[in-house]
Amino acid sequence: MNTAKEQFLSRRGFLKWIGVGGVAGTFAGFLLGGLRFLFPNVLYEPPTRFKVGKPGDFPMNQGTFLEKKQIFVFNTDEGFYAVSSICTHLGCSVRKSAKGFECPCHGSKFDENGDVLSGPAPRPLAWYRLNLGRTGDLIVDKQDPVDHKFRLKVTA
Amino acid sequence: MKNATAILGDLWRSVWRTGWPRSAKERSLVMTSSLFLHIHPVKVKKRTLRFTTTLGLGMISAFLFILLVVTGALLMLYYTPHPAAAYRSMKDLEFAVSFGWILRNMHRWAAHGMVVSVLLHLCRVFYTGSYKKPREFNWVAGVCLLILTLGLSFTGYLLPWDQLAYWAITVGSTIASYAPVVGEKIRYLLLGGNLIGEGALLRFYVLHCFILPGLALLLIGFHVWRVRKDGGLAAPEADLPSNEVSEGEDGRFPAGAKTYGLMSLSRGPDYRSLESSDPADEIFAWPHLLYREMLLFILVLAGLTAISILFQAPLEELANPTRTPNPAKAPWYFLGLQELVHYSAFLGGVLIPGLIVLALMALPYLDRGREGAGVWLHPSRRRSIAVFNACLFVLTLLTVIGTLFRGPNWALVWPW
Repeated sequence: MNTAKEQFLSRRGFLKWIGVGGVAGTFAGFLLGGLRFLFPNVLYEPPTRFKVGKPGDFPMNQGTFLEKKQIFVFNTDEGFYAVSSICTHLGCSVRKSAKGFECPCHGSKFDENGDVLSGPAPRPLAWYRLNLGRTGDLIVDKQDPVDHKFRLKVTA
Repeated sequence: MKNATAILGDLWRSVWRTGWPRSAKERSLVMTSSLFLHIHPVKVKKRTLRFTTTLGLGMISAFLFILLVVTGALLMLYYTPHPAAAYRSMKDLEFAVSFGWILRNMHRWAAHGMVVSVLLHLCRVFYTGSYKKPREFNWVAGVCLLILTLGLSFTGYLLPWDQLAYWAITVGSTIASYAPVVGEKIRYLLLGGNLIGEGALLRFYVLHCFILPGLALLLIGFHVWRVRKDGGLAAPEADLPSNEVSEGEDGRFPAGAKTYGLMSLSRGPDYRSLESSDPADEIFAWPHLLYREMLLFILVLAGLTAISILFQAPLEELANPTRTPNPAKAPWYFLGLQELVHYSAFLGGVLIPGLIVLALMALPYLDRGREGAGVWLHPSRRRSIAVFNACLFVLTLLTVIGTLFRGPNWALVWPW
């Protein structure tokens, strides 16, 4: 009887594949699970939506730097807007300069709207949505970027 | 009394199988019967022992690694990997713990020293053409060890949790996010979150104290083992024995001045170099090699201790995520890349370092000529040496500019 050649898969071959597949599958499972394990599900980071103060706290026609939150809040005739101080190049914190902003790490320069004037920064500084909360505080939402036309009108 | 001596003697021999070696046989046995010594050959070529053959750079790197493991393990006893406590641990080590300051200095300077010695070791192996067949893969292992060394240094850089640490890691980890497609994920994975906080510090700590040193230890073991298996150091063709041992007409192997082990008959990658043509050219590793190793270790330890007493490791003020120092600089060995990053983050952060690693790994498979192996700056390799020199020059120049000539806002300044 010439079973090995006639059969599509011999019993021995079938069991071998089950064994090999089982071991490989187990390792692949552990590997994928291990990889997923490395991505945390809960972060104990500061909230991305927070109060920054009453509209009256911000002097007219200038930017106020909120160091802890790493944003500039501007109060202009057209309304309020918030600009991130985090350089889009490599994450350093920019400073206010005569023309706009300057990054101390790699020398990027931005105009007062946060648009790149020179240096390696690939994108303008981020703008975030401002809302007026029920308590009368301005609220910044760092997960909600907006364009440069954004202004929050506060009628006091 | 006689009985006591015999018992002590038995005790001694239960630990050390061989006594202090006096004969040739004992000098062989002492090497082959010890776990810690058997990484050495029984005999080495005189050429191998000459200082100018290797400049001792691989050994210096290994010794610095050992010193880093010892000082690092001690530092761990006083270090807490949490943002609220890490900086205080540093201050404690500096001012409160007896000899804490010198251990920290030794660890810091040995880390810088190891980056230097590993880089110089790479240059030595290149300039002597020692990566050529059959040593291609060991060169690749060496490149991996270089990456591990940089990784160890980089992860250690964050642990003091001072301004220097915080911003160097901010810049370094953001570079990772420039990698196409997976960049952001890699950064999230490395930091264990979006910000450099407690998660990031703990991850860097575990990488620095366990995962990376463990990998490095494994790879160092492989690296040295492979040197032995490839027949010791690369040697010029003229120094190698003529060819494989061939059977005589009567079917017996010729009786030479030396007996051949099985390994000289089996087909290895380069079995010729396993045996020296001239037994007189070989001397016992005990004591000649061991003596030199110990001398080098003492010199490394003395040099490191002197530097650590004279120069204080830097420690700036507590990390402040809201205030970027001006200028903010990465560790010196990444300043060449930071200089490139100044022009383009993708170019300097991802493309150039990626190409450097790829080119280094591919080198022994592209440069396939056997000529010039084991010889410093062999004339036949003029072209590849010129290319290597040019790359080395550019990288050094960028590093020097980034280190000394960059001031506030990354503007060009004079270093004085």
